[in-house]
Amino acid sequence: MRNWLVGLLIVGFVSILGCQAQDRSTSQTQRAPRELKVAVAAPFTGNAAAFGEMIRRGAELQAKEINDAGGVNGMKLMLVFEDDAGKDAEASLVAERIANNLQILAVVGHFNSSCSLAGKPIYQRAGIVELSPGSTNVNVCEGSDWTFRNLYRDDFQGKFIAQYIDKILTDLQSVAVFFDNDDYGRGLRNAFVEEAEKIGLNLVASEAYDRDNTDFKAQLTSIKAKNPDAIFISGLYSEAGLIAKQARETGITAQFFGADGVDSPDFLTIAGSAAEGTYLTTPFTFGAAGEDALQMAANFEEMHGVAPDTWAALTYDAVGMIADALEKTYNPEASVADNRKSIRDHLASLDTPEEGYKGVTGLTYFDTNGDTVNKPAYVKIVKDGQFVAAGQQLLELD
Amino acid sequence: MSQFLEQIINGLVLGGIYALIAVGYTMVYGIIQLINFAHGEIFMFGAYIALMLITVFGIPFWIALPLSMILCGMLGMLIDLVAYRPLRNAPRLSALITAIGMSLALQNLARMIWSARPRQFSPEVLPTIFLSQNAVTLPGGASLPYRDVFIMVLALVLMVALNRLIYLTKIGKAMRACAQNPVAANLMGIRTNRVIAITFIIGSALGAVAGIMVGLREVVTPTMGYYKGVAAFAAAVLGGIGNITGAMLGGIIIGLAEVFGAGYISSGYRLAIAYIIMIGVIVIRPSGLFGKSTGHRA
Amino acid sequence: MKNQLTPKNITFGLFICFLPLLMYGIDAIALFLSHRNIYLGFPSGDYMLRIIVRAYLYMLLAIGLNIVCGFTGLLDLGYVGFYLIGGYTAGLLMARLGVNYWIALPLAVLNGALWGLLRGAPTLRLTGDYFAIVTFGFAELLFRIVKNEQWLIGGPNGLVRDIPPPSILGVVFNQNWHNYYHILILLILVVFIAYRLQHSRVGRAWVAIREDEQAAESMGINVSRYKALAFAVSAAIGGLGGGFVAQFQVNISAPFFEFWESILILCMVVLGGMGSIRGAMIGAAILGSLGEVLRPGFIIPYQFGGSRYLIFGLILILLMRFRPGGLTLRKAS
Repeated sequence: MRNWLVGLLIVGFVSILGCQAQDRSTSQTQRAPRELKVAVAAPFTGNAAAFGEMIRRGAELQAKEINDAGGVNGMKLMLVFEDDAGKDAEASLVAERIANNLQILAVVGHFNSSCSLAGKPIYQRAGIVELSPGSTNVNVCEGSDWTFRNLYRDDFQGKFIAQYIDKILTDLQSVAVFFDNDDYGRGLRNAFVEEAEKIGLNLVASEAYDRDNTDFKAQLTSIKAKNPDAIFISGLYSEAGLIAKQARETGITAQFFGADGVDSPDFLTIAGSAAEGTYLTTPFTFGAAGEDALQMAANFEEMHGVAPDTWAALTYDAVGMIADALEKTYNPEASVADNRKSIRDHLASLDTPEEGYKGVTGLTYFDTNGDTVNKPAYVKIVKDGQFVAAGQQLLELD
Repeated sequence: MSQFLEQIINGLVLGGIYALIAVGYTMVYGIIQLINFAHGEIFMFGAYIALMLITVFGIPFWIALPLSMILCGMLGMLIDLVAYRPLRNAPRLSALITAIGMSLALQNLARMIWSARPRQFSPEVLPTIFLSQNAVTLPGGASLPYRDVFIMVLALVLMVALNRLIYLTKIGKAMRACAQNPVAANLMGIRTNRVIAITFIIGSALGAVAGIMVGLREVVTPTMGYYKGVAAFAAAVLGGIGNITGAMLGGIIIGLAEVFGAGYISSGYRLAIAYIIMIGVIVIRPSGLFGKSTGHRA
Repeated sequence: MKNQLTPKNITFGLFICFLPLLMYGIDAIALFLSHRNIYLGFPSGDYMLRIIVRAYLYMLLAIGLNIVCGFTGLLDLGYVGFYLIGGYTAGLLMARLGVNYWIALPLAVLNGALWGLLRGAPTLRLTGDYFAIVTFGFAELLFRIVKNEQWLIGGPNGLVRDIPPPSILGVVFNQNWHNYYHILILLILVVFIAYRLQHSRVGRAWVAIREDEQAAESMGINVSRYKALAFAVSAAIGGLGGGFVAQFQVNISAPFFEFWESILILCMVVLGGMGSIRGAMIGAAILGSLGEVLRPGFIIPYQFGGSRYLIFGLILILLMRFRPGGLTLRKAS
């Protein structure tokens, strides 16, 4: 009797899984598909869900714009959102789920570097493009032909910030680093510290915080005792805003410096007046990046009621890149594997500035690894509660 | 030296918040021997409820504070009623799993209702005394916002009030009786279930206050209950779980240990240092600082 | 457990043995049909196979935790610590020192057992929730160490990457069906060991300790020794799971071993019914795959995709409400 119960349970589970229709509308027989499916994998639940939300919104905006304009060669672009909860264990399952779904042609994701790395071997084995709009760890694209990203790596950005402080903000004598003890924050901090030591920047403190905490006074008090001229906050805006605020409360008067993770209107909301004068690097500025970016920001706000952040814009571009690849290479007669491969080949062919994809975050083109190269970094400063382009930009790195 | 003083203040403010949450854990544990994992989520709901009352309904802070305490107390009682009461006679671990399930459900419910973006009490809606500019300047240039003074004072007042409630009132006596022996208490005519409900209400209301305090100092997010909840639980155990005075002191000790760990030892190990202290204390005194040796309740 | 070769048992055994074939059969049909532009509303076999591998892994871990929680009756909230030890032992040995998997796996098991004893020593006196919180603190400490000590681990956030797959005589084991048989063999081994222990003098001693420690001691059972043995065996199984997962995941990082995993494994043990090997396996099969079953598409419509863990929590509450003693209900002692 009990054995039967166990058997029934197992059969039940398998059949539930089996019946899990991926999409009801296309389960019937169809000749040529009228829609093209692209997966967006990001943390829609869990600790990083706030970023997942912006990624979803960025992707939705791009899909809506494409479909309103007639779709990809007349076919509708359909996004399939898959939640990896920001955990690598879930990310590998999601990757397997996506990679073996014969209707999905490419993946935009993942956000966390650890999740992108977890998915990498699976996407590679299945032969499907993984285009990350958020993973900055140096090794994400290494060793796989199928992994790309449209943002710069930790090492570029860390180096950039160190050189900017060294060359442009010359009156800053000493710098403290306050980093998020996670793959993004720590990776960036490592790159920054390495470059800072090389060019002889005076590093006075390096303190860590954890993303699940929201009280940073203890670390800030010990940073304050070192009396730095500038604090480089290597982390994401949700914490960076609080750090700026709590730092001012602690009596720190140092200049703040942030990276692209800080580039969000939420940073201004959370930090309030403490954000004033913060420098930050960004792959694009809505003010300086031209008409496209401004238009996108306006549309985004109209659609979602909030202003876009970096990740929303990067995802917007990533979906755009995939759609562009589909438009140029998709062949309804060819098999799924061939279509997936032709997307990869198209992305891999974007290897010079002339070939590159021009999106709201600037020109994207890849090196042989699949890393974005030479994407310019801009420096913004917070003035009167607004982001504006900083007076002096650093155009060339040593 | 001024750094040391500032760190002590940081630790005390944090410790006061932990203590308020820890009291909720320890009171429930004292009576029904349940680690109420969902208490961290109640604390988070307290912050969100106050945030909603103030920003959406435009209720002034001084009314929203007690109101959210009441609402949160109701929530705590409701959780006890639907989830824990049916399991009163079940194995203890079943109730623990229910608490875990409740915690998971509430956290995700909050994320669905209020989204995962961090929120805060915007300065316009708060009494001006809470703005961070309004502060006493300490020797050494640090500023101690009145807000933090308020948090410490309120935590202290509530603790003393709770202590008086437990030791001087009839309901407090009933609670102590239930904690000692629920069956005998029942035989003496104490309505155990009602006492347990009141315990949940008081614990949850204090949790709501802690939630609002965190909202004032930091931000409100759906996951805030987890991190602070775990630390507060550690505080409750450190003080001797089931012992209210112990929980208060445990909260202060964990708060100070966390701050000094992060400030002087290694910031990456912030809470871990607090846990090491906690483990050390438990290994030396197996029932916590103030706990009676009630080891065989497992 | 009566090991009879009834037709039913044989069918079940064959089903388990040839499950990957069935799954790949599904995939082959789906691929064949996709060439004709017909898409089955069906997740692929490879994906389901991975879910099953993960469910087996959780079964293995649940059996390990069950030895401390179920047999000796101590609440262990830090089981993931041993999983982490196993994962990083194997992962670091393989990725950074190039040690062969078949050497690294036993080392992971031994290291797990060693840490089990190390943790056990100071906690022997502790009971109930004080024990629980010390185990929690221990796992949390290990988690922080892998997060912070980058010189040891190599990458930020405890990242160990590109762990090579195991191989025998040049055959590389990196497909899902390889991992399926791999974990199946480990699982059968662990079930066998746990079963033999449960029904031996050791197992009876453990149960005696669970029921009444003082009475057990007065009956001449060396409580400390048997507890230490339980810790070591349980931790060794955790280490084994970790060693397997290192090569299964290829890249591991700290979030993989966070506190939630401990809680999840504990839920599996309690849900199945404490102290029962089969209960632990059933609990693991359900909770190990529930997260995937609840993905939007079938049960949950896409609009409510974010409610996955809300429903997960509610299911836990309801299961405990109606089967408080666990699914394989035995008379609670």
